[in-house]
Amino acid sequence: MTATIRTSSALRDFLDGKDEFEVEAGHTVRETLLSLNIKPELIALVIVAGEQRSKDYVIQEKDEVKVMAIIGGG
Amino acid sequence: MNGYGGKILRVNLTTGKIAKEQTPVDIARDFIGGRGFGAYFLYKEVPQGADPLGPENKLIVSSGPMSGLMIPGAGKCDFTTKSPLTGGYASASMGGHFTAEMKYAGLDSIILEGISSKPVYLFIDNDRVELRDASEFWGQGTIAVEKQFKEKFGEDFQIAVIGPGGENVVSYACINHDFGRQAGRGGVGAVMGVKKVKAIVIHGTKSIPVADSQAYRNAGKALYKACKDASFLEEWTRYGTTVVTSWCDEVGALPTRNFSAGSFEDGKNLYGPVMREKIVITDKGCFGCPSPCGKYSRSKKYGSYVEGPEYETIGLLGSNLGISDIEAVAQANLLADDAGIDTISAGNAIGWAMECYEKGIFTKDDTDGLDLKFGNIEATFELIGKISRKEGFGAFLAEGVKKASQKIGKGTEKFAIHVKGMEQSAYATHNATAMLLAYMTCDVGAHHNRSWAITYDIQVGRDLVVPEKVARVIWLQNFRPMFDVLGGCRLQWVELGIDRDLYITALDAITGIHRDWNDYEKVGERIWNLTRMFWARENDGFSRSWDLPAPRFYEEAPESGATKGQITKIEDVHRLLDMYYEQRGWSNDGLPTSERLAELNLSELVA
Repeated sequence: MTATIRTSSALRDFLDGKDEFEVEAGHTVRETLLSLNIKPELIALVIVAGEQRSKDYVIQEKDEVKVMAIIGGG
Repeated sequence: MNGYGGKILRVNLTTGKIAKEQTPVDIARDFIGGRGFGAYFLYKEVPQGADPLGPENKLIVSSGPMSGLMIPGAGKCDFTTKSPLTGGYASASMGGHFTAEMKYAGLDSIILEGISSKPVYLFIDNDRVELRDASEFWGQGTIAVEKQFKEKFGEDFQIAVIGPGGENVVSYACINHDFGRQAGRGGVGAVMGVKKVKAIVIHGTKSIPVADSQAYRNAGKALYKACKDASFLEEWTRYGTTVVTSWCDEVGALPTRNFSAGSFEDGKNLYGPVMREKIVITDKGCFGCPSPCGKYSRSKKYGSYVEGPEYETIGLLGSNLGISDIEAVAQANLLADDAGIDTISAGNAIGWAMECYEKGIFTKDDTDGLDLKFGNIEATFELIGKISRKEGFGAFLAEGVKKASQKIGKGTEKFAIHVKGMEQSAYATHNATAMLLAYMTCDVGAHHNRSWAITYDIQVGRDLVVPEKVARVIWLQNFRPMFDVLGGCRLQWVELGIDRDLYITALDAITGIHRDWNDYEKVGERIWNLTRMFWARENDGFSRSWDLPAPRFYEEAPESGATKGQITKIEDVHRLLDMYYEQRGWSNDGLPTSERLAELNLSELVA
């Protein structure tokens, strides 16, 4: 049961240069972020199959989850 | 010189003399362009003690080596002057298409000197440069004037224009362009206004020389491809900077009721998706931009049609005033843009006045009868007009919150949210020590664009006071504003995550001079130290106390929201400064040492 989570490239600094991770389905986005050592508060937007989701969305098998952090500000 | 227009244009408004000179090669080497040129010419040419509103002050408009070329977002223009708001260094960056036309007209900088005896506009069409009578435009709003110039000269001409706010010398008047882009901060529009320059109208058709045209084209294509392939291009473009509104509300960074809190109970009505759904009608980008963050909005309720509101305006003219109607924010945005005043400083000034009113420090007798409770939309609209006309209570607020609070006293200085006299942009910093330090030490006052470190705060620990945080702030301060030096936009790098080495390949091909990012960072550091010296030169007793934030962030914890009960202790504020000065190589009073200046090749300039 795996899915993919893709983070903003701008978060690479915190993630050893990586921005794509294979993750286990069945967990919320929030839990998954924590398991990757990403603080969920960093994330401004969660997108799954083009739809905006909350951080409490439970990741399904084969989901491609995009999590966007803001780095630049307004 | 490859990558440059090649000429500096000087316009003496007192005498009417117009002259061009070669762009100095050594200055291009040491300061590159844009904000770097502005800092150099300001320090070198504006005499110590010059009145910001007097003839000795100059307004320096500069492009950079990226400007006007096919590099993503290569449309940034810098306006530098001695600030009438702060008495220190002001540098405001403006997007759009103006800087590209400067380069096509062969210009790297335009330096406005002296003061005209009557309203004029500067007309530039390649080598034809004239000061023309602007009497018929004086008193009009920015949008009407830009429209008239477009009709008169054609769409290819680009226009930078001031509104009544600049004409009336509001301390935070801005310069407008392209019906919605601004050089917003520090009162650059007031300096243009006092010089009686209503507008600069510019068009050019010259080529920009590049060192290796094939390599430049390849590098440009690679940059655009990287943007197109970026994971979050679609999301970024859909919301632009408004994507950050909900996030700021969630983490307690959304300025609420004059920064008394960082979360707004009605904030949801201002979020990016709500705005997109309710009022956005199209996207709008600057020159060469593949990821347009500008949003055109139409409010049926108010009949407004405006580029915006972007995040800063939502924060300052929305939640900071207790206003949760996105259509009202769009209308306030339009009024401020047309009047030519900075929405960030105006939102702070009105928020401060509302807090004074709610605390009983002001009554209707003081406010020209306005009921200045938080959330009063009509009073906000009215006050924007009064500020720009410097009328009644508006004239008092037109000086900015530092001066207004010093005049009134009664403890209002404690909730005047500024650093060095510049009102704080839209990030509440009760418990975000790197972001707080970024505001405290920013080279123009409390502005976010040099170092935006709040994400870093959240990832590593919001209240941590450690050297690593300070190093991060310094790195961002040296590096991020390099885009304002190069004449391009940083957002493709910071938000789309474009590999920054692609820019190096492009810049090498354009200029024919190899520099890596360490070299550019060094230039950023040189500019940072030079502008610090400008502050010290122009302000007696300039030292550590000037770097302190608004007391609200170390004395008054929010009573609600994500940062409820949280502040940064004053001891930690000073620890941050201790570490910052040490890492910068500055004295304990925050002044660059002679050794540091020598290392940066600044000794001669600042002697």
